[in-house]
Amino acid sequence: MRPAASTQSTPRRAPARPAGQTREALRVFLRNPAAVIGLVMLIAILAVTIFGPMVMSADPFEIAAAPMEPPGSEYALLGSDYLGRDVLTGIVYGGRATLTVGLVAAVLSVLIGVTVGALAGYYGGWVDEVLMRITEFFQVMPTLLLAMVLVTLFSPSLATISIAIGVASWTSNARLARAEFLRLRQREYVLAERVIGAGHGRIIWKVILPNAIAPLIVSATLVIGTAILFEAGLSFLGLGDPNIMSWGLIIGNNRPYILTAWWAVTLPGVAIFLTVLAVSLIGDGLNDAFNPKLRGRE
Amino acid sequence: MWVYLLRRLAYAVVLLLAVVSLNFLLIHISPGDPVETIAGSMGGLSEELRAQLRTQYGLDKPFLVQLGVYLVQVLHGNLGHSYYFNLPVSDLILQRVPATLLLVITSVVFAFLIGTLLGTLSARKPNGPLSQTITVIASVGYSAPVFWTGIVLIILFASILPIFPVSDMRSPGAEGWGLASILDVFNHLVLPAFTLAFVQLAQYSRLARASVMDALASDYIRTARAKGLSERRVLYKHALRNGILPVLTMLGMQFGNVLAGAILVETVFNWPGLGRLAFDSVLRRDYPTLLGILLFSSMLVIIMNQLTDLAYRLVDPRIKTS
Amino acid sequence: MPGFKRVCIAALACALAAAAPAGAADAPRRGGTLVMGSTESPRHLNGAVQSGTATALPSTQLFASPLRYDADWKPHPYLAESWEMSQDGKSLTLHLRKNAVFHDGKPVTSEDVAFSIMAIKKNHPFQTMFAPVEKVETPDQYTAVIRMSHAHPAILLALSPALCPILPKHVYGDGQDLKDHPRNSRDVVGSGPFKLKSFTPGQEIVLERFDKYFIPDEPYLDRIVIKINPDATTLMLGLERGDLQLIPLISEPTLLRRAQADKNLVMTDRGYEGIGALSWLAFNTARKPFDDVRVRQAIAHAIDKNFIVKALNAGFAKPSNGPIIDSSPLATPDVKKYPLDLEKAGQLLDEAGFKKNGDGVRMKITVDYMPGSDVQGKNVAEYLRSQLKKIGIDAQGRASADFPTWAKRIASHDFDMTTDIVFNWGDPVIGVHRTYLSSNIRDIIWTNTQSYSNPKVDELLDKAAQENDPARRKALYAEFERIVTTDAPIVYLTVIPYHTLASRKVGGLPVSIWGAMSPLDTTYLK
Repeated sequence: MRPAASTQSTPRRAPARPAGQTREALRVFLRNPAAVIGLVMLIAILAVTIFGPMVMSADPFEIAAAPMEPPGSEYALLGSDYLGRDVLTGIVYGGRATLTVGLVAAVLSVLIGVTVGALAGYYGGWVDEVLMRITEFFQVMPTLLLAMVLVTLFSPSLATISIAIGVASWTSNARLARAEFLRLRQREYVLAERVIGAGHGRIIWKVILPNAIAPLIVSATLVIGTAILFEAGLSFLGLGDPNIMSWGLIIGNNRPYILTAWWAVTLPGVAIFLTVLAVSLIGDGLNDAFNPKLRGRE
Repeated sequence: MWVYLLRRLAYAVVLLLAVVSLNFLLIHISPGDPVETIAGSMGGLSEELRAQLRTQYGLDKPFLVQLGVYLVQVLHGNLGHSYYFNLPVSDLILQRVPATLLLVITSVVFAFLIGTLLGTLSARKPNGPLSQTITVIASVGYSAPVFWTGIVLIILFASILPIFPVSDMRSPGAEGWGLASILDVFNHLVLPAFTLAFVQLAQYSRLARASVMDALASDYIRTARAKGLSERRVLYKHALRNGILPVLTMLGMQFGNVLAGAILVETVFNWPGLGRLAFDSVLRRDYPTLLGILLFSSMLVIIMNQLTDLAYRLVDPRIKTS
Repeated sequence: MPGFKRVCIAALACALAAAAPAGAADAPRRGGTLVMGSTESPRHLNGAVQSGTATALPSTQLFASPLRYDADWKPHPYLAESWEMSQDGKSLTLHLRKNAVFHDGKPVTSEDVAFSIMAIKKNHPFQTMFAPVEKVETPDQYTAVIRMSHAHPAILLALSPALCPILPKHVYGDGQDLKDHPRNSRDVVGSGPFKLKSFTPGQEIVLERFDKYFIPDEPYLDRIVIKINPDATTLMLGLERGDLQLIPLISEPTLLRRAQADKNLVMTDRGYEGIGALSWLAFNTARKPFDDVRVRQAIAHAIDKNFIVKALNAGFAKPSNGPIIDSSPLATPDVKKYPLDLEKAGQLLDEAGFKKNGDGVRMKITVDYMPGSDVQGKNVAEYLRSQLKKIGIDAQGRASADFPTWAKRIASHDFDMTTDIVFNWGDPVIGVHRTYLSSNIRDIIWTNTQSYSNPKVDELLDKAAQENDPARRKALYAEFERIVTTDAPIVYLTVIPYHTLASRKVGGLPVSIWGAMSPLDTTYLK
């Protein structure tokens, strides 16, 4: 048997219905301590970012305290930045923008990537050739540079940044999807569907995709993390949207002051780090959960 | 065989030209042009000078003509002159390539070796405590923004523990490649390379872990075990060899991302590499330099892809590339 | 008898130090490498065809100029031993020293001076510097006579090191376009105290002592290394660690505070009177509602300069009230000022017809700002946002991704209000006129992008440009300042608090009006 060209294996029998597989995977996931920690962290972060602004009702751009107060001072629990704005407020409010960009960029990236990869892997032949050339074309261009050029071109705003990141980073999803579809289209159950005359659309959507979904979900969670880091990087370089508070923006704004107001750079960085960590722990957990064979080996 | 190689070569050239053309387009439609930058650097500009510069840079010609002129020039091996420095782009790139390559290769080698080792170790007992710890540590490196890691290191090594220099590749005024200079460069290399490696650690570790686990589960491993081979031999000789394939693919694919990380690390540490020059060139609208760097890095990525494909075929001759 | 020798050398050094314009009190020591930090990356090293502080730093070490200046705006001999201005002010005769040679050994003659001045006139972006110069005659090898079409008092300041580097005709007179000349970055030959060892674009410039410099026993330093790092914080770190010894042009308040607290560092704000760096807010008077002077004055009254000085600049900046920097001999303090007065601002806006609507808003405007200068740009814009809200103006900041984007917007007059930083460059003819002359309304940045047009101002500026008598000239500029501050096409905020930071080891710090943008031939390491 050929070793798998992808990173996960799947059951070699005809697949159980996806629902059964999912329940099993969920149980495994919840028994994995790292994954559960990640899940708890993410829920906590989401709670703070979604409900925090409602509770706080302050303006993160407002000058609340004296400039560059260290954490623990009277008006600024986590300190204030170079203008006197509260870092805590900035972090609570900034989460929305950062997470939104991360999510939108990831969705875009996965949508484009999976579409291209699935079509290429399923149809093969010249469709595969053409799509793979396009993929390679995008892959060859340095992602950050491309994103920078796009953002400079269209003026920095949340929308531009999300789109730029999505456009610059879909290629890995495409390759993954293609590999999965290539592998799965030769399966007996797919051939069986062909024999009974099922259309391509049905086969792609209802037969292959549910079985390919596992590694794609894992990949999607990773892309969210990458997109968040990307946004932070662009803001750090000064190309973020200056009118909307985001974690990367706080870091970018306060970069000249790291020696004196290190908290304004370090603490939002911690927020980014915890979020991406949570997401990637979940991703790892999902990865293990969808590989029942490997769990058996202790 | 030769026909195949020639075809790949021709294809690579076409791909490169396509990449360059797209970027040419993107940069030219960005607001502002190099004349504004030059005006900025000078504290003002006169009407006549501005007109002169525009003609000199061909900015008054229609876009397609500009693109055509540039492509022809590139095909002759001439990357043009930097608008900002008035020096040949190839000189500027060659000046900076060693620094970036040094940084990137050091960080990749380090991350690859340690990451693969950690990943393999954790694949033996996938849910054991060692494996969990390794996962978490690797995830820490991956989750922290690379520039943040760099900044934290700078704060640590600037104020608290001043062992390593926190910026540049050499001490001011140092030159040459004598022993003392090489040591000086490596001294400066430690922090930036570590920062860049830390980010990639997780990818290689996680990937190695997954592939090795995957390979361990398959039939031929069971066969090897049935044949009575020691566990260690099973692991390292058979599982790793096949597990390494996706890791190799990752190496090739990640190269582009590593270059992106290099831009940030070079900015934070003022490392005199291509990444920093590229970033500055975008901001200055120094088209020839930026396009030259894009061309160069795209070439590198294409070469990496080809090498990865080749390595793939060597490691497992059963795999056919499409 | 080493003791006796040392006494002699010390005495000689003292005599020399007394003769040198930027005199150091103690005996300068020979030798050593001075590492200077700079955040700007020069395009090349020839200040004759490129203006700006980035090029001036290295260019003033490589090239000498006819005159140099002290801290009191008085010119001193440099390449020119002496000079005379004719009665009608239309000819300036320079008598050059006879012992000056270029780095390649060839003598500096009046031919080189004539060539350089005409080359600068042709290629330098500041066209007004030598515009009235018709020709430079060279009656003999060491005499140059600059003939001008009318009296041009600015000519004396235009002969400063930063503005008039004397180029060797035998190198640059080969017919190639000077702006692109390959010798601008490689094998640069001048007659200044230091010669070029290496130039790595974007990274560092290494200069070496020129042994045949025409001032004997100078320069004291063996080498100068200019280290380029766009991040001022890192440069500061380097200074603290001893990797660097000198950083000019630092205006960042947090760094200044840190330097102030550091006992091992010396900090001075002297040396920046020449460039006269002003930070201001400019209106596009061609656009409604900024064509109405009452609106402009209202906004001026709403701005609390004290806050900008104390909070945004940590007290290091001085407020600025007019187009000419107040340390210039031609400035006047008697201008129309705009103290903080929110009520008056509201009144003026009411008069102009902008009443508050239901939400308390009179108008919505955008504020542009130059990227890359947070303290003078973005922070001011953000301050304006909250401050102008108080008088019912909704001011949104409009960010530009990078410098060319911002420059394009301002150049094409696509803005409401913008922060800006503009330098005086010594004589008002060079850096001030360009903002207010109606003939200079163009689509290039740092011209009259405000579309300001007042014929009286045009007349005053033209007269002042040709007025040789200092007292009469000052009076003309005083009237000009009064009119401009009343018309308020620009709200003056602060003088940018440039400081030079140095380690205590550096002696003979450059404190003339041009600061570090003058030859460091009297600087030494203790």
